[in-house]
This record gives sequence, C-alpha cells and structure tokens, in this order.
Amino acid sequence: MSPEILLGLVLATVRMSLPILFAASGGYFSEKSGVAQIALEAYLLIGAFTAAAVGFQTQSLILAYVAAAVAAAVMAQIFNILIFKFKANSIVVGTGMNLLAMGIIPIVSKTLFESTGSTPALDTSEAALKQSLIMVSVTTVSMMALCYWIAEKSNWGLQIKFAGEKSEALTSVGVNPIKRRWQAVTLCALITGVGGAILSTYLASSYSPLMSAGRGFIALAAVIFAGWNLRKAWIVVLFFGFAEAIQIQLQNMNLAVKIPNEFIQMLPYLATLVALLLLRNKQQAPKEIS
Amino acid sequence: MKRIDFSSLIGFFIGVALSSVLVILFKENPGDVLKVLSGSFLQSKFDMGLTLFYTTCFAFAGLAFSIPFKAGLFHIGAEGQIVLSAMMAAVMGIILPESLGTFGIVLICLATMVVGILAAQTIAFFKVYKQGHEVVVAIMLNFIFAAIATYVILQNYQNPESQNPESALINPAFQGAKADGIKTFFEQSAVSSFLLLAVLSCLAVWFFEKKTKWGMEIKAYGENPTAAERMGISAKKVNFLALGIAGFFSSLVGLTEVLGSTFQYKVGFSPAYGFLGIVVALLAQGHPIGILFSSFIMAVLHKGASDLDLETQFLTRDFSKVLQAIIIFCVAGAVYLNHRRVKRDA
Repeated sequence: MSPEILLGLVLATVRMSLPILFAASGGYFSEKSGVAQIALEAYLLIGAFTAAAVGFQTQSLILAYVAAAVAAAVMAQIFNILIFKFKANSIVVGTGMNLLAMGIIPIVSKTLFESTGSTPALDTSEAALKQSLIMVSVTTVSMMALCYWIAEKSNWGLQIKFAGEKSEALTSVGVNPIKRRWQAVTLCALITGVGGAILSTYLASSYSPLMSAGRGFIALAAVIFAGWNLRKAWIVVLFFGFAEAIQIQLQNMNLAVKIPNEFIQMLPYLATLVALLLLRNKQQAPKEIS
Repeated sequence: MKRIDFSSLIGFFIGVALSSVLVILFKENPGDVLKVLSGSFLQSKFDMGLTLFYTTCFAFAGLAFSIPFKAGLFHIGAEGQIVLSAMMAAVMGIILPESLGTFGIVLICLATMVVGILAAQTIAFFKVYKQGHEVVVAIMLNFIFAAIATYVILQNYQNPESQNPESALINPAFQGAKADGIKTFFEQSAVSSFLLLAVLSCLAVWFFEKKTKWGMEIKAYGENPTAAERMGISAKKVNFLALGIAGFFSSLVGLTEVLGSTFQYKVGFSPAYGFLGIVVALLAQGHPIGILFSSFIMAVLHKGASDLDLETQFLTRDFSKVLQAIIIFCVAGAVYLNHRRVKRDA
C-alpha cells in the first residue's frame, strides 16, 4: 500500500469520525446523567439541516454552527419536558424525536427551498473550503477540551455524574438531580447539533435527506462500547470512523476480491455486540439510567 | 367493573389538534389536511384494501412490541426481525420446488417464523447472559439484519428483469394469496387473508395474557421483577418467552408482505413497521383488542399521508412521521397525567 493511500485513509478516518465524535460526546453526558439517549440521530439531522439552511442564507459558517446547536437544543426541550415534567419513558420519547426530525425536515425544506430533498449547495470555492477546515478544527479541539474539562475537572460535571449514579447524594447537598439531568440533555443536544453542522457543511456541501445514516446510533454504540468512559469513547469513535473511511476507500479501489459493502457498513454494530459478548461491563452503566 | 382508561385516546386527539396547529404554520388549511388524511382510504376498494394491509402489518408489529413491554422489555428490534424474516420467506419461496404446492407454503411459513423467533431470541440472549440493554442490542441487530437481508437478496436473488433492488418473484405455486377471497373482494389490493390472522392473533393474545399461566407470569414479572422471581418465576424464561412471541409476530409481518402482497422481497419495503408498531401499541396501552383498533387508525393516517404529496402544496408524505411523533408525545404525556389523577383519587 502506497503512502499516499495510507495518508488518505488516516485523514478520511479523522474526517468521518467527526460527526460521531460530537454525537458520542453529547450522548455521554446525557447517559451519564441517567437519561438513556436514543434521539442523537434527531439532533444530528436537525443540526445538519439548520446549518445547511442558515449557511446558505447568511453565507456565514459561524452562524450556521451556532444555529445548528441552538436548533438541536430547542428541540431537545420537547424531550426534556416530556421526560421530566410528564415522567414519560425516555426511549418512547426518543423514538418520537427521531420520527419528528425525519418528518419535519422535508416539510420545512419544501417550504423554504421548494425541494423535499437537498438544500441548495454551499459555496465550495477553495477559500470557502479552507475556512471550513479551520472552523472545524477549532470547533473540534475546543469541544474536546470543554468536554474533558466538564467531565473530569468541573464540579458541575461531577454533579451530572452523580445524578446518574446516586441521585440521593445530590439531593442531600441541596442540588436537584432533575435540574442536572435537564442541563445534561441540553448540553448533549448542543454538542450533537454541532456534529450535524459538520456533517452538512464540512463532510458535504448541502443537506441531503437522512444524511446522518445511523451515525447517532453508532455514537450511542461507541459510548456503550467504551463502558461510559469519555476518553475511551473517543478512541472507539476513531475505530468506527475508520470503518467508514475504509468502506469509501474500498469502493474507489478495484480489488480482485470484493468485500460486500453491507458487511463493512454493519461492522460498527457487529463490533458493539461482540464487545458486549466478550466484556462483562454491567458495572459500568450508570446505575440510575432509565 | 373496571373503568376504561381513555387517556391515550385523549392524548391522540390532543396530538391531532396540535398537528393541525402545525399545519396552519405551514399555511395549509387543517380541515383539508384532516380530510385528506382520514378520507383517503374511502376512495376505492383498492385504497381500502391497502389500508387494511397496513392494518394487518401494524397489528402484528403492535403485538410484537406490546408483549415484551408487559414483561418490562422495550422491544425496538421488530424492524430487524421483520426484514430478516421477509428475506427468509422470499428466499424459501424462490428455492423450494414448485411440486411441493401447499406444503411448500407451510414450509415457508415455518422457516420464516423460526428465523423471526431466533432473531428476537438473540436480544433475549444478550439481555439474560450478558446484561446488555435490550434497546441497545436491538438497535445494533436492526442494522445488522438489514445489511444481511440486503446482501443476500442483491447478491443471490436479484430480480433480473428489474432495475430496482428487489428479489425475483416467488414460485407461482406459492402465490396462493392471489386467489383468496379477501384479496379478490378488494380488487387485487395489497390486503390478503393475513388480515383474518391478525384479528385472530389479537384475540389469541388477549386470551394468552388473561387466562394462561405464561401470560400471567410475563405480566407479573413486568410489574415487579424482584417479587416475581421470589415467587419462582424465572427471569430467563420470561425474557426468552416474551421476545420469542414478539419475534413470531414480527415474522408474520414479513410473511404478510412476501406471501400476501408483493410475492418478492423489495429492499426498503418496510415503512418502519417496527417503529410504527410502538405507536400502535402505546395508543392501545398494550391492550390486544385495542391494538386492532389503533392499528386501523394508524393505517388510515398512514394511507392518507401518502396522498398529501398530491393534495397539498407544502406538506409531504413525511407529515405522517410528524403526526406519529406528536401522537407519541401526547399519549405518553396523557397517560402520566391520568395515572397521577387516579393515584390522587385513591
């Protein structure tokens, strides 16, 4: 294998990992606070669509990213209200959130752009791509630093973890665990929404229908695969990104032996199940997750 | 006399009302939209047949969700089981020799059911022996089964006469549903005798849950696992039993599609039956007879939504997903409010 291909593979791995990285980091906080989160897919989709739409209208990447985060966070409030005020099952509501995202985007898109499918393409000139690359790098590094700080160093992060492990302890020091969970889910949506923005403005140049393609679920798998550990989850994300990168690479190369696409696509999911099979990680799940 | 719990119905109507408000935001007339949604199935016998076909699939999918739910399991794996079992039905229908006749149909059904049940038992296996969360395992399996089914069909059984990703037709000898009374009555629409089976299944499940020991054990375990285990109900048995039954009903959706409607496997045939089943079961609050009615309501809406593309300017068929989501939200909320009221009264 020539060095160029190898380098291309490494870069593609990093690129493909990015949306999953954001979704997994977001999902980590929600899961840690004790709220099972299967709506990551919805936040990714909303983020991707909002970023593409706002980016097209305003020609500003920063606004696109901010709008994506805010849109996902606003949508997450539906989830929050139902979970915490109406005590609904988080998985029932999560399923509904995914349906809502899949259903509402084509309608909004048709109203705004007269098309149910893709949004109009963004600027793809060299300068714009360079700007996009800088934006993505800065956002990713600061997101990782921020998440690490919240999860490992801050008091607030510790309280989020306690909300998922032993909420009585929080109550006894005068902190409402519901409040921490509420904040954790909102944080989750903010981060995941930015992941969606990267999906539509950096990995592509427009929103196309269902472009998240199960990445929200892969991110959830990464969090579980890593035993609800943030840094391990990031490494797992790279592995899943590699699976996607190699899939694209193999399509470009004309190999004598064809590895079916479907098998490479299901690799992350299979890996998660194998991990469940081999590891005994029942201790690692947040105790009060529901 | 037990008071009938109408909270999910109230939630349903609140959901429809909220959706109408949403419709106004998109500058459509909610009255027109509701008329399209609810009236589309009355247009012709063919449309009615299609609606009843959806009813059949939704009812099976609803049962596949509601039974594990009684055991405290959140089963979202039906989608994968449906796809995998439909693939099995199509493959068996293609490879079995024509000479088997009716016996061949029985064989197809048996093989499909076994595949559906085993697919669901995989979830139970992870749950019981590896303490994996059933939702996570089911999500993974959904993707894996879909990939396997697509691979098998496209690599080995692709229909040579079609550009679409679909399998060849099953042997004409096994297309018995073409001649059945229900299908003929509805002008060769998608509906078939599986509709009767769906009605019978709902009745049978009602009997199973009310009158049999296993049904009671599932319910007892779901309500209080610790107490149930102390009374000698095995957690292992309940998990495998509840998910096994769910897998059985998932496989019936696959059979309804392949043996009752299209006679082939079309990649992407399922409009997420597995997830629609959740809506159906929640709307009926898990009551098997209720599932029959709620699946019909959802089928009418689903059929109606496919007409929205033509009848309105901005709304698309995707509106049915929005409607389902809002209904899920409202039913989930209304059920809680009702529980709180009952508790306060007591």
